[in-house]
Amino acid sequence: MTEPQTSMPLLRLEGLGKTYSGPVLADVSLDLHAGEVLALAGENGAGKSTLSRIVGGLTSASAGSMLIEGRPYRPASRRAAERQGVRMVLQELSLIPPLSIAENLFLDTLPSRYGLLDRGGLHRRAQPLMARVGLADMDPETPVGDLGIGQQQMVEIARGLTGDCRLLILDEPSAMLTDRETALLFDQIEQLRALGVAIVYISHRLDEVKRLADRIAILRDGRLAGVQSAAAMQVEDIVRSMVGRDVGAAFDPGGRTIGDALLDVRGMSRGRAVHDVSFTLHRGEILGFAGLVGSGRPELMRLLFGADRPARGDMVLEGRPYRPRSPREAVAAGVAMITEDRKGLGLLLPLAISANVTLASLRTVANGGFIDHRAEADAARRLIGDLRIRCRDGDQPVAELSGGNQQKVVLARWLLRDCPVLLLDEPTRGIDIGARYEIYALLAELSRQGKSMIVISSDLRELMLLCDRICVMSAGRLAGAFKRGAWDQDSILAAAFSGHLQSSSQEQA
Amino acid sequence: MDAAPSSFPSSSPSPQPAAPRPGRSALTRYAGLLAALVAMCVLFGALSEHFLTAASFRTIANQIPALAVMAVGMTFVLIIGGIDLSVGSVLAFSGAVMSVAIVQWDLGLAAGIGLALVTGMVCGAFTGTISVSLRIPSFIVSLGMLEMARGGAYTATGSRTEYIGGNVSLITDPWVAGISPAFLLALIIVMMGHVLLNRTVFGRHLIGIGTNEEAMRLAGIDTHPPKILVFMLMGLLSAVGALFQVARMEAADPNAGVGMELSVIAAVVIGGTSLMGGRGSVLASFFGVLIIAVLESGLAQIGASEPTKRIITGIVIILAVVLDMYRSRAASRSS
Amino acid sequence: MKAALRLILAAAAVALIGVGGAQAADAKPKIALVTKSLANEFHQTLLNGAVADQKARSGEYDLIANGIKNEGDTAGQIQLVEQMIVNKVDALVLAPADSKALIPVVKKAIDAGILVINIDNSLDADTLKSKGIHLPFVGPDNRKGARLVGDYLAGKLTKGDKVAIIEGIPTAFNAQQRTQGFKDAMAAAGMTIVSLQSGQWEIDKANTIASSLLTEYPDLKAILCGNDSMAIGAVAAVKSAGRTGQVLVVGFDNLAAVQPMLNDGRLLASVEQHGSKLGVFGIDVALKALKDKVPQNKIDALIETPVDLALKK
Repeated sequence: MTEPQTSMPLLRLEGLGKTYSGPVLADVSLDLHAGEVLALAGENGAGKSTLSRIVGGLTSASAGSMLIEGRPYRPASRRAAERQGVRMVLQELSLIPPLSIAENLFLDTLPSRYGLLDRGGLHRRAQPLMARVGLADMDPETPVGDLGIGQQQMVEIARGLTGDCRLLILDEPSAMLTDRETALLFDQIEQLRALGVAIVYISHRLDEVKRLADRIAILRDGRLAGVQSAAAMQVEDIVRSMVGRDVGAAFDPGGRTIGDALLDVRGMSRGRAVHDVSFTLHRGEILGFAGLVGSGRPELMRLLFGADRPARGDMVLEGRPYRPRSPREAVAAGVAMITEDRKGLGLLLPLAISANVTLASLRTVANGGFIDHRAEADAARRLIGDLRIRCRDGDQPVAELSGGNQQKVVLARWLLRDCPVLLLDEPTRGIDIGARYEIYALLAELSRQGKSMIVISSDLRELMLLCDRICVMSAGRLAGAFKRGAWDQDSILAAAFSGHLQSSSQEQA
Repeated sequence: MDAAPSSFPSSSPSPQPAAPRPGRSALTRYAGLLAALVAMCVLFGALSEHFLTAASFRTIANQIPALAVMAVGMTFVLIIGGIDLSVGSVLAFSGAVMSVAIVQWDLGLAAGIGLALVTGMVCGAFTGTISVSLRIPSFIVSLGMLEMARGGAYTATGSRTEYIGGNVSLITDPWVAGISPAFLLALIIVMMGHVLLNRTVFGRHLIGIGTNEEAMRLAGIDTHPPKILVFMLMGLLSAVGALFQVARMEAADPNAGVGMELSVIAAVVIGGTSLMGGRGSVLASFFGVLIIAVLESGLAQIGASEPTKRIITGIVIILAVVLDMYRSRAASRSS
Repeated sequence: MKAALRLILAAAAVALIGVGGAQAADAKPKIALVTKSLANEFHQTLLNGAVADQKARSGEYDLIANGIKNEGDTAGQIQLVEQMIVNKVDALVLAPADSKALIPVVKKAIDAGILVINIDNSLDADTLKSKGIHLPFVGPDNRKGARLVGDYLAGKLTKGDKVAIIEGIPTAFNAQQRTQGFKDAMAAAGMTIVSLQSGQWEIDKANTIASSLLTEYPDLKAILCGNDSMAIGAVAAVKSAGRTGQVLVVGFDNLAAVQPMLNDGRLLASVEQHGSKLGVFGIDVALKALKDKVPQNKIDALIETPVDLALKK
């Protein structure tokens, strides 16, 4: 780990601030040295992205100044920042799906001969870059749209490495990567560091942050809450600093009683993604599903929710055959789905909280097709209170809420509908640590009231904290099931890999 | 209702009672459109000595019913993220069927009107069903319907303007205080449209579909029937528009409503309804209709030349949308 | 009336010779008729008249009759003419949708040895001259027709009365001619034209304009409309303003739909230009020239067809 350096910093931020309708970033002063990895940590809305966007030239600061090697630095655009060697890999993919990997890599500097695209030259330039991010065995001609999301992320990172790069900003680069890809990314970061490139690394995965970074800068409510050497901090310290208080202590998974069988799944199969999966969900149980990317968990959920039809297999819900042909039938039978993509698939963002909460049970707040706005507002107000949704009132648009409160709105919808079975796909993705524990507590409380839940999560600790039982899927099959108390991380991981070891090595990601 | 968990520690104080509908933003919305309307009236009043007279406004009131009811339908279509380009042709076709039923088949006024309404609804049902169930953009399907219905109008009338006469004009003849029954009917339809959109489960579903159709599906709502219904409603209201127009002219013109889809869409967009779906207001669309009608009438009264009319109309459309954009941005910032 | 008489004589002559000649010829001449928008009643009538005539005299000639989709579809009409050239017709009778845009393709047809007769709306004389094309025109004098109905209207008004004109698409030659005829008549009778606006040939646009005019000019005495569709719109406006009988309306074309309005006086008068015969007039001129082997540039440059006042029946 680097000692505090006395040489001139590569980048110096002095009193940087940004104000939209209110201040989102205030008085941030920070030095960054060549060959240093600085992690930016903080809850959503703490200002991490704003800070990195200012440095990357995507927005301008409202206050303060920046210096690169002592010279004033005020990029007017991303291009201007790139000319100074500051490159940025954004959280959202900005690739053009129909174009090839090579074309995406050199979008702004496509080589041409006689006005025609010089494919040979393009591929010669693309190949070394692709090798650096572990895509050496891919054809540079492959359209980016055909790649998995993780591979697309690697292309995005490779694009950040084109040309002169002195400062690389990575905004949540590992969010969608598999472990193998993440390892590749870390190798790449080590190499860049050795070359003297300064790196700003933004991630929610705090263990990752601690492993990778030299120093950790923590933002809270737009202000710098502290900058410390990574070696000197434990994950718990980082969390406390981010949230500004202790979290997690309040969560108590116990006190639940598991009842009789509610949903019985037998021999579910569809294509290669789901193969002969059988399990039973009990009343009041939280059943976790662990597995690697591509193990078939979301595909299984789609079958349970009627979004796809199984090729084979039967389900019995509350003693009756359950064969949903559409999400509508699933909901009618009492099975609700809470998707991973809250904003894209779950919520009506511009609409009011009340409208989102009552969406699946409008008939209960309506008379003869006419909505009773008072009843709707009452229902919304009650659930806002029960779930402690932090908002102005029930008329506030959902888009203005934080991720955690948005997730509570989705939960509230299904509580109002009174669905006995909740399917939750990555219920805390993108939600701040502090809010995560509130969601956990909420789910535990719901299970005490007799709701049954199936939870998919890529965060094994989350499952181990929350679930009564964890099923492990591997390559479309159920590779094992573990009861609380009878599990440990190693055996779950071993089960998760088992299918891949047996079947084949052609599984790409 | 009784489904919600009650055993949660409800320690947190309940938020203040829900704000009264339709809420603050709605008021400012209509205020902006109203201001634009008043500004235009003042301007034309200054330019033409007879613009600010009761007769002038009576005339406008009796001219807008067709545009107004079609704007109601188009508001719904745009809210679900669709578009219907066939409305002008469907108007002509429905009017043609009505005239043929009355004049050639001698079926009488009531049956003629009934057939016209059915014609419009069938056209809308066709557009809606093809577009929704086969997932073809409504832009394309309604473009096809635009041609088909126009062809139908020519076929039905033999490309001739069909004179109806008789008591068909009762619908649009000035009635109380010079106002026609058609105008009152249009007002009622506008109010009903407003209630349908804002107060019913159906309306809520439409807004949801336009905002995020996939989320609606995952919430267990079958999104196809309401979408098809919206296109049927559009067809029906085009036929009502035809009824108003035919009654006013006492004749069905197979060329009626050429380019009318653009006036209707312009009125709705001036009212602030989003072409991207999910956001819109029937009342605001009605204000859009008024703005277009006042503009048209005012320009004719000052005797503006055809090129000038077109240039000014174009400017007003763009200006209205730009202002609306700034207004909604300002509103979202202040909240 | 002199021109009409001449035409009728010519037509009679053509008919006589035509009947005799048809048996002698080895093959019937192939005539193409290309009109404007079939969505327009006038042109539909024109085309139907020609088709009926060919049925009645099917031994004399073959007819390929076509029209375009709408008034503005000039490109579509050019394509139609090109297809007729490929079809190797003997003569082309053309009602052009545009006074200038059709000239190049007309030249192409003449160069391909096709006899071309211009009906209804005459092509631009200067452009034709500059290209060295001699194109006989068979058709009504729109200005004369407008003058006719204008004079009739003037007889019902008193000098100095305020009148307004609603014209068709201002770029169209016949619209310009009709407007000019209206102006001639009004000027001769000493009327005041307070407004001239375009109703785009359309019923609804004309209605809007007429309504505004009635508000703006409380003492307006008459509205002159460039066609009957617009006249229907104006009549409706006058009615809803409650000024039927106080404001007179005249139109042009004598559509079937306006007959009831003529009869009860809501429409004062219209102009009959014998649309159903116009195509036949053109075809007759072409047949005669083919028969007598008269070349394109020797046919009379102007063969006028009759225009008459249409009144209450």
